[in-house]
Amino acid sequence: MYSGEIGKKLKELGINPGDKIKVEYDNVEIEGELMPKTEFGSPDTIIVKLKNGYNVGIGFKNSRITKVSSGKGIPEFPKASMKPDPKLPKVSLIYTGGTIGSKIDYKTGGVEESKMSPEELLYIVPELSKIARIVIRNPFSIPSEEMSHSEWKTIANEVAKELNDGARGVVVTMGTDTMHYLSSALSFMLNNLNAPVVVTGAQRSSDRGSSDAFVNLICSVQIAAKSNIAEVGVCMHATSSDDQCHFIKGTKVRKMHSSRRDAFRPINDRAIAHVTKEGEIKYAENYSKISSKKTKLSAKTDFDSKIAIVKVFPGSDPTILDFYIDKGYDGFIIEATGLGHVPTNPSKKEYSWIPSIKKAIAKGAIVGITTQTLYGRVNPNVYTNLRIVSGTGAIYCEDMLPETAFVKLGWLLANYDKKKAKELLNKNLAGEINERINYDEFLL
Amino acid sequence: MSEYHDYYKKIGFMCGLEIHQRLATAEKLFCKCPTNIIEMVEKEPMSAHRYQRAVAGEMGLVDVSAAFEQQKQKRFLYKIPNSYSCLVEIDEEPPHEMNREAFMIALSFAKAMEMRIVDEIQPMRKAVVDGSDPSAFQRTAMVGFDGKIKVNETVVNIPSMFLEEESCGIESGNSIETTYSLNRMGVPLVEIDTDPYIRSPKDAKEIALYIGTLMRISGFVQRGIGSVRQDVNVSIKDGARVEIKGLQEIESVDKFIDNEVKRQQELLKIRDQLKKSGASVTEIVDVTDVFTRTKAQIIRNQVDKKGVVMGFRLKGFKGFLGKEISEKRRLGTEISDYAKAANIKGIIHSDEDLLKYGITPNEVAQLSKKLSLGPNDAFIIVAGSQSDARNAAVLAKGRAEQAIISVPLETRGAVTDGTFTTRFLRPLPGGSRMYPETDARPILVTKDAVKEAESNSPNLEKEKAFLMKHVKNNDVVDQLIRSTRLQLFKSLMGDTSADPQFIANVILQKFTELKRYGFDVESISDERLVEMFDLYKNKRITKQAIDEILKSLAKMDQSVNEIVKKEHLERMTDLNLKKLIEKEKKEGKVSKEELRNRIMSKYRLNVDGSELNSLII
Repeated sequence: MYSGEIGKKLKELGINPGDKIKVEYDNVEIEGELMPKTEFGSPDTIIVKLKNGYNVGIGFKNSRITKVSSGKGIPEFPKASMKPDPKLPKVSLIYTGGTIGSKIDYKTGGVEESKMSPEELLYIVPELSKIARIVIRNPFSIPSEEMSHSEWKTIANEVAKELNDGARGVVVTMGTDTMHYLSSALSFMLNNLNAPVVVTGAQRSSDRGSSDAFVNLICSVQIAAKSNIAEVGVCMHATSSDDQCHFIKGTKVRKMHSSRRDAFRPINDRAIAHVTKEGEIKYAENYSKISSKKTKLSAKTDFDSKIAIVKVFPGSDPTILDFYIDKGYDGFIIEATGLGHVPTNPSKKEYSWIPSIKKAIAKGAIVGITTQTLYGRVNPNVYTNLRIVSGTGAIYCEDMLPETAFVKLGWLLANYDKKKAKELLNKNLAGEINERINYDEFLL
Repeated sequence: MSEYHDYYKKIGFMCGLEIHQRLATAEKLFCKCPTNIIEMVEKEPMSAHRYQRAVAGEMGLVDVSAAFEQQKQKRFLYKIPNSYSCLVEIDEEPPHEMNREAFMIALSFAKAMEMRIVDEIQPMRKAVVDGSDPSAFQRTAMVGFDGKIKVNETVVNIPSMFLEEESCGIESGNSIETTYSLNRMGVPLVEIDTDPYIRSPKDAKEIALYIGTLMRISGFVQRGIGSVRQDVNVSIKDGARVEIKGLQEIESVDKFIDNEVKRQQELLKIRDQLKKSGASVTEIVDVTDVFTRTKAQIIRNQVDKKGVVMGFRLKGFKGFLGKEISEKRRLGTEISDYAKAANIKGIIHSDEDLLKYGITPNEVAQLSKKLSLGPNDAFIIVAGSQSDARNAAVLAKGRAEQAIISVPLETRGAVTDGTFTTRFLRPLPGGSRMYPETDARPILVTKDAVKEAESNSPNLEKEKAFLMKHVKNNDVVDQLIRSTRLQLFKSLMGDTSADPQFIANVILQKFTELKRYGFDVESISDERLVEMFDLYKNKRITKQAIDEILKSLAKMDQSVNEIVKKEHLERMTDLNLKKLIEKEKKEGKVSKEELRNRIMSKYRLNVDGSELNSLII
């Protein structure tokens, strides 16, 4: 919005964004609508939308502005009026913001996340109401980088409530950046899950005709409404094409690209299913199926937030662990190199991580070792140095993703005593450990 | 000329041009990919397919043309060549900063047309959901406004100029899927618009030529097929604005405009007659049961697939659907073009020879009864799947109703059958398809940038004066100015010691002459011509050999040196020529004239005539 001198002048003239104005400028007259100002632009220009639809920036100082007529303010976008079909299965859509619900933001001129209302989104994807009876919940709207365990908790409780209230499946939409943290969190928090819980989002905002949001949403609702899967997973584009999405186990999925539609990949695993927008589902083996037994879902949502992911790198200073310990941290997931190495005997003695790890464990912290290669399993035995690390009492977390291990440790420490938590860290609870990584489960 | 102009004034002719010209920058407008696209390098490029949908613009409205394209539900296949595209073109990475070179060229053109340059350029998205942009919009920005040019002593206003991305080139397509190549996607182009007051089709052509020339003399633009395209907006009194898209040949611009004028005149005549006879269009009816046992294959195919036949009555339309409104195009064709947008092959109407389709008189009688047809009525039927047939019928009905009201607002495309006619593409888009490009920042135009642009801006008068100094002939200057080889001429002039008039003669007259004999001289690359003139400059070939070399190059791209060797075109050295003269002299005493002719008739291609003259004397 306009501030400073321009803001003052506009106020004086009684001109608001959306009003039709005339700008006299260098002996030229321009008529158009005053558009809201973005913060990226120069503070000395006003933005005018011309009749041809183009916006142009016009210098304010040398121009004379007059109001022609009042506008209707910033326009509203069309919204869906939904007529739910009672014959269709009920699917709850928990909408939490993110790119999937974003449109232009006049504060920055960039895409502000989470501005589109759920009804606006459904207006653009009318197919959804032909697949399921969609019920929308909107506990909050925030970008995914702002999410923490407290939002995971809210979402887990919402999911449990919706499923216990008779939804056949749940779709959670959110920003994509931290989506694999949420999917891990839900995987651990939801006990006795007997329905599909699908997390989805978009890499291109839904205010553009090429957005992946449409296909992602349709495929996710298909999984929630029709599949026999009783797991938490992420459902996003399988390739760059708009053909099909894949549904990947929530603890085995990771965002592997900053911008591509097919950024979400299964790591040390394969997708549970591939789904087309027409609703054709191809399943892999080894996943939990919906059972006929009626179960009540409970959400165990406590989370210990005093957990940190720490990455080692050549020449890294291990006293970072001491810093965290002094701040009262309860556990660490170390992103080690290769099979699970940390510097143990470097030329500069003070860069050995062994003393700090030992100290952390002595203070009662749990230390998990994962690998920064992401693919593959850590192994405490192959090299002498690995044995030294595991000798400190650090736990080798198999083929678990660092982010999954982080979520798991935070959840374990809040729901079990320390001894049990330590014991469970490298035991499979929610599909996070794959004991048999198949040859072709690489770079999928 | 004045009688000519009077006619167009009388019919309320209005016409404006949009000229799109690709710029010869090193990199694309929003990424680092090259723009000098030669051909598809990869034999089997990767591909991705996508769907697009119409979304609301900044003002919360869905654009009518976008909505129209979306209802076709088309699938788009993109060929992805690594050599010419990166993640940006396929919409998998946000745009980089706007290309500075393109921005400066655009400013220099704006200055050449005395435009006001906006103070802050706002990149916009223009919704395009026909698949030609993988992002479903074209990135575009308004650069200047309120400009003017003078063409044949008449001032033409240039209200706006834009800098935008080129779209994908179409490779193939059918009603279900269109294949595009990403090669040229994102190449910068400028769009220059005139106001709608161009006085006649011929004026439009002159103005298009002038603007094209102005840009070309800058040396900052691409050339070759498709590098410049004209969109023309035409209307006449009581008619409607129709945009004809993508005319690539400037020479035929006036013919297309004239045919559009005639089309609108014919449509208005039909309108008047239909109005007089109280024509109307009635509701769409499912007429499938008439055709359950039909032998008409085109309908049979659909009915067998559980499809339906939808039809409607056009009261008072008898004979009008078959009326020709442009060469080979009837009102029925116009209506059919609308219906085709709904994935069907076409419509069947009562002004056609129905037996040709295999529709029997009995079926026609049943249909007439079902649709309550009167003696002056016509009908239209469409066959297809349940939803396609219904959508197609709705579209066809909409167009038929328009026939009673006026000329519809349309975007039309050229029909490439040599008739200079057009066909309906989609409804004319409005301003609702504009949306700010949220991934790219606005660009403040500094005073320094404007100054720099001014010093680089092309100026036709100055260019003419410069050329005149060298070629000393007004006609040749005019031809050079219009030639696509102007930049080549200028660089050859600097590079070679060859007489500028001789170079101009080769690339103008010689080219025209060879073209007339069917040689594809346009296909010869600048590089080969430079090679050839270099040999000439270094006295390795004669003027006469140039003819032969051009003919060989026009047949096949090859090294000029090789042609010279293969076809024995080496110029005879001074020494050898002297020896030859001596040898010929010994053969018998002849006059100088005869000696010269004898040598030239044997060694025409290898001996430089003036050198020979000087040696004989």
